[in-house]
Amino acid sequence: METMLTVEGLGKSFKDKRIIGNISFEVKKGEIMALLGPNGAGKSTTIRNIMGIMYPDEGSITFHNSKGKGIPRNKIGYLPEERGLYKNVKVMDILLYLAELKDYPLDRAKQRALDYLKKFGLEGKDKVSVEELSKGMGQKVQFIAAIIHEPELLILDEPFSGLDPVSQELFKEEIRSLAANGTAILLSSHQMNLVEEMADRLFLIHRGTRVIYGPLSEVKKEYANFKCSINGTNSLELLESLPEVERVQQNGESAVLYLSKHIQPAVWLKNLPAELDIQELSIDRISLHEIFIDIATDKNLLKEGAELHA
Amino acid sequence: MRNTMKVARWEIKRNLKNKSFIIGMFLTPIIFLAFLLLPDLFSSDEEAATTKVYVNEELGVYEQLEAAAANTEWRMEQTDVTEQETEAALGTEEDAAYVFIDEESVETGQVTVYTNEETSSAFMDEVQILGGPLQMLQIEQLGLTPEEAGIVAQGIVFEDAAVASDDEGLFSENMLKRVIPGAFAAVVMLSIVFTGMAIFQSASQEKKDKIAEIILSSLTPADLMQGKIIGYFVLGLVQVVVFIVIALPVLIWKIDFPVIEYLLVPELLVLLLIAILGYLLYAALFVGIGATMADMSTAGNFQGFVMMLPFSPFLFIGPVFSDPSGFFAQLGSYIPFTSPGVLILRLSLLEEWPWVEIIIAIAVLIVSVWIFMKLAGKVFQTGILMYGKNATPGEIWKWIRA
Repeated sequence: METMLTVEGLGKSFKDKRIIGNISFEVKKGEIMALLGPNGAGKSTTIRNIMGIMYPDEGSITFHNSKGKGIPRNKIGYLPEERGLYKNVKVMDILLYLAELKDYPLDRAKQRALDYLKKFGLEGKDKVSVEELSKGMGQKVQFIAAIIHEPELLILDEPFSGLDPVSQELFKEEIRSLAANGTAILLSSHQMNLVEEMADRLFLIHRGTRVIYGPLSEVKKEYANFKCSINGTNSLELLESLPEVERVQQNGESAVLYLSKHIQPAVWLKNLPAELDIQELSIDRISLHEIFIDIATDKNLLKEGAELHA
Repeated sequence: MRNTMKVARWEIKRNLKNKSFIIGMFLTPIIFLAFLLLPDLFSSDEEAATTKVYVNEELGVYEQLEAAAANTEWRMEQTDVTEQETEAALGTEEDAAYVFIDEESVETGQVTVYTNEETSSAFMDEVQILGGPLQMLQIEQLGLTPEEAGIVAQGIVFEDAAVASDDEGLFSENMLKRVIPGAFAAVVMLSIVFTGMAIFQSASQEKKDKIAEIILSSLTPADLMQGKIIGYFVLGLVQVVVFIVIALPVLIWKIDFPVIEYLLVPELLVLLLIAILGYLLYAALFVGIGATMADMSTAGNFQGFVMMLPFSPFLFIGPVFSDPSGFFAQLGSYIPFTSPGVLILRLSLLEEWPWVEIIIAIAVLIVSVWIFMKLAGKVFQTGILMYGKNATPGEIWKWIRA
């Protein structure tokens, strides 16, 4: 796959405080690359540096596929985290203005705008003033504004924040289809479940530095160990003495056993001792959500693995 | 530059579609005309109310009295009403006066005049005009020769022979020649400065609506800032055109003067240059300050102070009027914020233009415009993306130094 954007060794400080450091990743054509991290991790700072809204102190940002220096603004679509629209203008006017700023032909922009408004259930709203839109409708119009000029690279900073589940689904669908049509997408979010469903690769950032970077499937294989939930009357000692158990979280009758890497679930189950009281048992991988919480709250359950791969 | 023009076009279009802007645009000249014409309407009302003057005289000088009062707005009438009856007679009249003239009046030089509450306030000044014929009577009684009488009756007049004035009052032709282009330049500057104040709102609105970052993903902060400045400049000119179209015909009709002829003189170009430089200076201020503010209603003292700067020329109006080439007038011409207003005022008052001073002042202005545009650019660049709070003077200083 063709690489569209390369970020290398990016670093930025405000005053003496280092906000991000040594950030390196790539975004490829037709893929969804997720930039993940808790609030304040440096996601938006990274994106703002890419967009030239801030200037990095160190590192380089390369837009492939663009001649000349500088940011090929016309080829990039950007949905910032802090976003809004002029209030007292008509929806179509602002969409066309933003398309004009990208040098996109206006007649095509108009047709695309109408198509997307229809797709997002805003048919007939093109002549409505922005201030009359609900928050969700406004979000949709902002999204349309970001993609109206058929960008080659689309940067979405927290696109799902403030959306209801139906609209989230709509956005997910659209982002997927854009990627399928060859758009390179950089998506920042802290909603793990959504990212887990969509992203091809991910970059997990915490306190301004990389924690995990790689294809989603590999990340899951690498970090998402199995965990076994058991309901039954068992002593903590017994649970801790089971083979391949790294940590136990017990809460009354129910317990979660975090298992070490590389176990084979079937073999492990077969070796459980007979005296174990099992009313209910389930075994699955730790979700991205749990990995994320884990990192964000500094529990460092995965520290070992993270260090290996960082 | 292309992006700048896109922003400018957008700002123009957006405002011209905005109802409150349109209303304001037409209201300004109408209010201006109202202020100009309303006092006129009131005063002409007063003139129309003529005083009815009843004269009871026993000396047979009524005709002379009437001749003396020919230039007044009175309606004179002879009457037989006696002094005792006047009170009752006045009660039924509006704006009337009774004048009683007899032998005693000539001897003592005192005439009794009865007026009521509605009598015009200027009447007691005007009525002195009747003194002339009576004085003639006095003189005749003294038995002077006609020559002597003539001299005495002439009285003594203090003639105004000020050195500088060739032939002119405040609105003589020469004066108007200079005042009209100056006034026009002042109207142009005020219009674009007032419209320019909308830049400030537009910049802070950009932050309030949180659209700045979306816009800045397509162009640079400098493009955005220049686009706003140019856009509002054009809007200001639109305002001027509307103003002229509405106000000029009324003015020509009212002043009865070849306004156009006096307006289209070469000096106008210099005055307009000053006005435009003034606009650019204030526009830089407004756009910079606007970018530091989250909301109009939370403007701090510092922002409020800067907003007042365009009005600083008013400080110099008194000194400049009393001496258009004096120290304060010169000082005001060299201080960037006061210089556009002070220069336009001075050049409207002065007959001989101090060209050296004008050139220096314009040079100072051009340099200031350049410096303030640079500063505003730096403040705008950082400020426009700072959401949710007003910048402190300290922060602004830091951005400028960055």
